[in-house]
Amino acid sequence: MLSYIIRRLLYTIPIVFGVMLVTFLLFNVVRGDITDQIAGKAASAETRAEIQEAYGLDKPLFFDFKQSPFTKAFWNSQFVNHLFSAATFDFGSSYKDRELIWDKIKRGAGPSLALTVPMLIGTVVISISLSLVVAYFRGRWMDYILVLISIVGMSLPFLSFILFGQYFLAFKWGLFPVYFWPDLSVWQYTALPILIGIAAGIGGNLRFYRTVMLDELRNDYVRTAYAKGLSSRQVLFKHVLKNAMIPIITQVVLAIPFLFLGSLLLERFFGIPGLGYLMIDAIGSRDYKIINAMVYISAILFVVFNLITDICYAWVDPRVKFD
Amino acid sequence: MTDSIQTTKNLQKPIKGRSLWIDAIGRLRKRKLAMICFGIILFYVFIACYVQVAEWTGSSWPTNWDESTGQKYESPNAQNIFGTDIFGYSILRKVLYGTKISLQVAFFASILSILIGVPMGAAAGYFGGFIDDVIVWIYSTLSSIPYILLILAFALVLKDKTPFGFKLAGATTVYLAIGLTSWVGICRLIRGEILKRKESEYVLAARAMGCSGGRIIFKHLLPNTFHIVIITFSLRFMSFIHAEVILSFLGLGEKDKPSWGAMIDSARLDLPKGYWWEMTAATLAILIISLALNIFGDALRDCLDPKLRTD
Amino acid sequence: MDNLVLKRIIKTLTITVLAGGGIYVLSFLLRSGGIPENEVVIYSAIGSKIDSLDPGNIGDTSSSSVASQIFECLYDYHYLKRPYQVIPQLAEGLPSVSEDGKVYTIRIKQGIYFTDDPCFEGQRRELTAADFIYSWKRLANIKYLSRNWWVFDGKIDGLDDFREYTKSCKSMDEVDYSRPVQGLQALDKYTLQITLTKPWPQILYLLAHLPTAPVAKEAIDYYGKSIINHPIGTGPFVLDKWNRGSYIEMVRNKCFHDEFYPSEGQPEDLENGYLADAGKKLPFADRLFFMLIQEDPPMWFLFLQGKLDASGIPKDNFQQAIQEGQTLSRELAEKGITLKTFRNPSTYWIGFNMEDPLLGSNKPLRQAIACCIDKKRYIDLFTNNRAEVADGFIPPLMKSYDPDIKEKGFGFDIERGKKLVEQAKQLNQGSLPVLTLAMPSTDVVARQYGQFYKKSFKEIGLELEVDYMDWPTYLGKMHQKDFQMFQSGWVADYPDAENFLQLFYGKNVSPGPNNFNYVDPEFDKLYERASAMLDTPERTQLYRQAEAMIIEECPAVFLLHGVAFTLHHSWVENYKPNTFQYGLSKFRRIDVEKRKAYRYK
Repeated sequence: MLSYIIRRLLYTIPIVFGVMLVTFLLFNVVRGDITDQIAGKAASAETRAEIQEAYGLDKPLFFDFKQSPFTKAFWNSQFVNHLFSAATFDFGSSYKDRELIWDKIKRGAGPSLALTVPMLIGTVVISISLSLVVAYFRGRWMDYILVLISIVGMSLPFLSFILFGQYFLAFKWGLFPVYFWPDLSVWQYTALPILIGIAAGIGGNLRFYRTVMLDELRNDYVRTAYAKGLSSRQVLFKHVLKNAMIPIITQVVLAIPFLFLGSLLLERFFGIPGLGYLMIDAIGSRDYKIINAMVYISAILFVVFNLITDICYAWVDPRVKFD
Repeated sequence: MTDSIQTTKNLQKPIKGRSLWIDAIGRLRKRKLAMICFGIILFYVFIACYVQVAEWTGSSWPTNWDESTGQKYESPNAQNIFGTDIFGYSILRKVLYGTKISLQVAFFASILSILIGVPMGAAAGYFGGFIDDVIVWIYSTLSSIPYILLILAFALVLKDKTPFGFKLAGATTVYLAIGLTSWVGICRLIRGEILKRKESEYVLAARAMGCSGGRIIFKHLLPNTFHIVIITFSLRFMSFIHAEVILSFLGLGEKDKPSWGAMIDSARLDLPKGYWWEMTAATLAILIISLALNIFGDALRDCLDPKLRTD
Repeated sequence: MDNLVLKRIIKTLTITVLAGGGIYVLSFLLRSGGIPENEVVIYSAIGSKIDSLDPGNIGDTSSSSVASQIFECLYDYHYLKRPYQVIPQLAEGLPSVSEDGKVYTIRIKQGIYFTDDPCFEGQRRELTAADFIYSWKRLANIKYLSRNWWVFDGKIDGLDDFREYTKSCKSMDEVDYSRPVQGLQALDKYTLQITLTKPWPQILYLLAHLPTAPVAKEAIDYYGKSIINHPIGTGPFVLDKWNRGSYIEMVRNKCFHDEFYPSEGQPEDLENGYLADAGKKLPFADRLFFMLIQEDPPMWFLFLQGKLDASGIPKDNFQQAIQEGQTLSRELAEKGITLKTFRNPSTYWIGFNMEDPLLGSNKPLRQAIACCIDKKRYIDLFTNNRAEVADGFIPPLMKSYDPDIKEKGFGFDIERGKKLVEQAKQLNQGSLPVLTLAMPSTDVVARQYGQFYKKSFKEIGLELEVDYMDWPTYLGKMHQKDFQMFQSGWVADYPDAENFLQLFYGKNVSPGPNNFNYVDPEFDKLYERASAMLDTPERTQLYRQAEAMIIEECPAVFLLHGVAFTLHHSWVENYKPNTFQYGLSKFRRIDVEKRKAYRYK
């Protein structure tokens, strides 16, 4: 068991390195020159040079062959700096407002989670319940209607969900607050975005869980259970749901790291100052440092949660081996 | 299993190798809803092709979407059945033209990710060892980055770059970004399938006959995994169309011409003023094809490979 | 028996929904009412994120309009009087200027205190002349990487040397601010003397510009890098809560000096009710909220619901989100909403890169393009007829605006354009290639402009390709002169046409503000002469002459002069738009009862 954990841990090292490499290639090599962006308009050449120095942009990307000794140039390259800052989670400060990126992320995580956690719970609870209904009614009109609704839900663009939802539910009919407001509690201003998120997410989830349930129903033990004379209710709840728990839990656990990202569009349209909003702003202002930090942190979280689920599996089921 | 018996026969009579497909089509035909959806998809493809041909031949309709057909912001009426936008352009024409752009984006993105994902998956599954390690490393790395962030990051850095004298802008950036990031799923599926099949009798037989690795992959293994590609992409096509909408919202999409994403993005400013028709038209266009793709893709999967998990 | 399954599922679902609903209802009871009942609160919207509340580094209008509630400058613009007039704010009076126009002596008001803060260790901290000197040296400090060095660049005796010196320092903290600068002297505690390198009458306007607002050295030293979160000024409000990325909350500054509502104004101000509060102590509000709302739909909804008092600060962009047709306007009027339009000191244009081999040498081509754009239609489409056609670059709001400019400029004339294109073709010995236009935005509105231009160019047989790019890319292209045409505009920083003239000055070519890369020795001579002059009829004459020169040479197609507009509810009083002044919240008055009635209706 211990050796499994160790091997599994070692396996994450190349992945983490890969993520560092990808972020470096994307945000330091391909993105191009960003000095102008930091300097603002009408900046003189000397200010630009000063900025390049302050942000380390004047250093070679990997190594500078003209510079000697060779090793020194390598240790002083942008790539090595990138690795160090990633390994120590030191992302520096934003180009735009000079605030530490860590401060931004710490502040944004709360609001994002306040939005995404209820969204996940709601989506999972409702879609599993509905998937049981569907499994129960499989092949009958109820099944078709629910499947149709779920596909319609999946097929609508998310942006349309938000725009129509905000216009009708909040503004026209006044059922919810339109936007964040200082005197509202967190439950109030997140209510509508959560609802929209659930409505948009339920389609795909319902379809997934329906497949899981139907797959389970095809198994031999289900036939045996019916043959024993158990009722549909007992079969569904006692056996099928229990056995379907593994794919369900995997799905849910692997969704957890994404919770931290918040929701790009919902946060912006409802004024929730979370990480999705931060991300959209960073995209708009080309603040690559923030995008880099977000991509990196979410990838690391994903790797960690993957690790945890794998170890849990190994713990629960001794047959699981690491190959 | 029966599969392997069939395929051994196939070696002797290659014509019959299509039986899986013929069989599946036979089953598909019985599903009326799926066939209707297939018709809808064909209709969309026809529109896209028509627009493309009209553009090549210089025909005016509907490539003349940038001609006013009425006052600005006309609500739907007999002349402009979907109304007009700020310039008095016909929204119907914009939707039709957008069909071409959006389908083009999704199509090229699919092709690109197949071209990357399938050979990589096949190579990883068949050769194993170091090649497998490297490919698995690449796709595990990419798949540990949230998908939407990855697309955004690619679109962002690729935008307005000029590699090899070819300028990336608008729709090109979009399908490059989507294509370069979404090959991971298909790569993983193909790898798994090849791993499963590479020890089967017909491959062993081919190897015994002295076939080269490349020949076995392309002549024997890939044709037998082709249905996976088809199913995956009938289901993924929709998500590409939706990705285009989000990229357009973030200003990373097509700019010069109307795509569905660009239409929704511009209608965002009109909706609060009560001009709901452009939004509705584009949303409907997306809704209908997504519905059709979904239902058809599901049916296809049920007929070709009911055990396949594509989620 | 089987129905039980369904029942159980329905039960689970109902419980979930009920629980959710319960929490939702409960939250109304638990609402966090942090605002005292009797306080007067103003809610405004800001359309883009606040980058900084440190005046030394503020470069955008959103940040300026928020920071201006906290910081004050030596001078300011009169709230009511038009044309815009500079009045003393922290200064006691207008500066006394030496004979040669190079030495400015300014008395500072006594008894002005920075707001109380831990960094002053419990002492009251009075504003002195030394604070200005420190603040301006800070702008010069290259390690501080201020966005606002352009304000003083090359203007003040010895300050450039100070900047040179800071280059040798290792970090921001190492810079020795006690190092003297020849041109900045404190004659006594309350007297500031500025010596310029050459006459520069526009300095008065820049002393009313937020980057020159004084900051306290103690605060900068105490807070270090986190000074961005602790703005400490002398203005009517102090920062209470800065929920970054969400909202900014300010409260009345208890240490604010006596300031009163102006008692003079324009003749029409009396009947418009702008003088009802004449002579009363400012500010009227106790608390300000600046809500960050970047999407237009929610902002509009909130305004209609009466949550926002005004539709927000006009954006940099003249295209406002809320451009209503006639029908909705009536609806708005019934709700008691007022629309106020006011001229912006702005001009928007399509510029040509004069270093481009084709455009730079082909004047007929440039003029042809100037003829092909239907400015009236442009204004109708994109601004709902709320802008004025531009023939030259000096906006009508400026004193030096030429009333006869219409005859000098290029009007919309397709026939003339076609003829000019023929000439251009001859000049180019053959056909003309596809032209490209750099567009500094990728959003919907930019795409709509692009479509409009394309169509206009087509009318006279030219082909146009529009290159949409984000702002940083655009800036980069401007710096490297890597473009053919560009869409741009300028909003004057101060009410002097010199601010527009400098855009065509030969020494200001990219990366300076002269993005046209227009160089004309004759124009330069004229500019140098006029910019050092005080406001006289002769100077006005020179300005107009220079403008006519530019129109003829045609380095740009001038499209329109912006007219900004803002909507506000009936309970907001003293709402007179002012395009140069930012710290306006102190003048605003809210009729709380009226607002309550509207919100509950």
